[in-house]
Formats: sequence, C-alpha cells, structure tokens
Amino acid sequence: MSSMLKVVGKQLKNHPALIPLFIFIGGGATMSMMYLARLALKNPDVSWDRKNNPEPWNKLEHNQQYKLFAVNMDYTKLKKDRPDF
Amino acid sequence: MSLEGGVTFIKIGGPDLQLKMSHEEKLKNYRTAPFDARFPNTNQTRNCYQNYLDYHRCNKALTAKDKDPAPCEWYHRVYKSLCPIAWVQKWDDQLEAGTFPGKI
Repeated sequence: MSSMLKVVGKQLKNHPALIPLFIFIGGGATMSMMYLARLALKNPDVSWDRKNNPEPWNKLEHNQQYKLFAVNMDYTKLKKDRPDF
Repeated sequence: MSLEGGVTFIKIGGPDLQLKMSHEEKLKNYRTAPFDARFPNTNQTRNCYQNYLDYHRCNKALTAKDKDPAPCEWYHRVYKSLCPIAWVQKWDDQLEAGTFPGKI
C-alpha cells in the first residue's frame, strides 16, 4: 500500500497539474460514500435490527424532513394529525 | 372569537389547530389523506399499509383499555382514501381467517 502511495507521490511531484484531479475525484468519492452512509444510517425505511426497531419510520416527528430538497412542501407548517392511542 | 350564545368559530390555521379540534370535527372536515411526513415520496404503499395496521392496532388498544374506539376512525378514513379496494378486501379476509401477516 505504502509503495503505491510512494509511486503516486513521485508522479505528483513530476506532474503537479494532476493534483486538482485527485482533489475532485477524491471529493466526488467522499460525497458518494457520505450519501450512502446517510441512506444506510438515517433513512427511515432502513431497519438494521428488525427485532428492536421494526418500524423506524414511525420515529419521525410529524414535521420532520428527511429529504434533502423538498419542493413546494413547507414542513414547518405541518400539523399533528393522527390521534394517539 | 366567540359570539353570544356560546357559538365559537374556529379560525382555520395555526399549528395547534388539529390538537384542539375534537375527533368529530376532524372527521367532519376530512377531505382526503393529509400529507404524512413519514412517507414523503411518490410511493405511498407503506402509508396505506401503516394506516391499515394503525386502525386495527388502535381498535385493539382502546378496547383493551375499555375506552371508546372512536378516535381510530381517523385511520379508517385515511386507509380508505389511500388503499386499493382489492388490498383492503384481501387483508380483511386474511384477518377473518387469522392469516394476516402484519403485527396488530
């Protein structure tokens, strides 16, 4: 692993114009992985432990927004509808 | 605001309104299933199923506590608005036969 990094380091020293490439590719890969992690851990449809967390979507508040961008829906104006039981 | 004679008008709006409305008022004003933050996407299957489950769970819980199951009617209305009739019939048949797979 470290020998691979040494090779890349040498190439970068000889061709420094490649550095932005690493930044953008690395940034893109990081963002993809972060989105997958968000889906795996925060998505209310995902349950890792079916026995203790059978219906994770019921844990959302009545005006809690999971979507990153919600078009034409103002979550702050939502009222609590469902009767408790 | 209230008029003489004890008639009170409710102003539509405000975040606490639904909490202050009684069950009868909520059902009288019911038009269709409201937006549910738990199910914000196009696929509303889970919304339908969850309300079906909640109706039966609500009935079971309130009758077990010896309370009037009238508030459960909300869930009944919502799943009737959302669910295909064939699904409701199938689940009702399964409930009668004791083969319904969901947890109630």
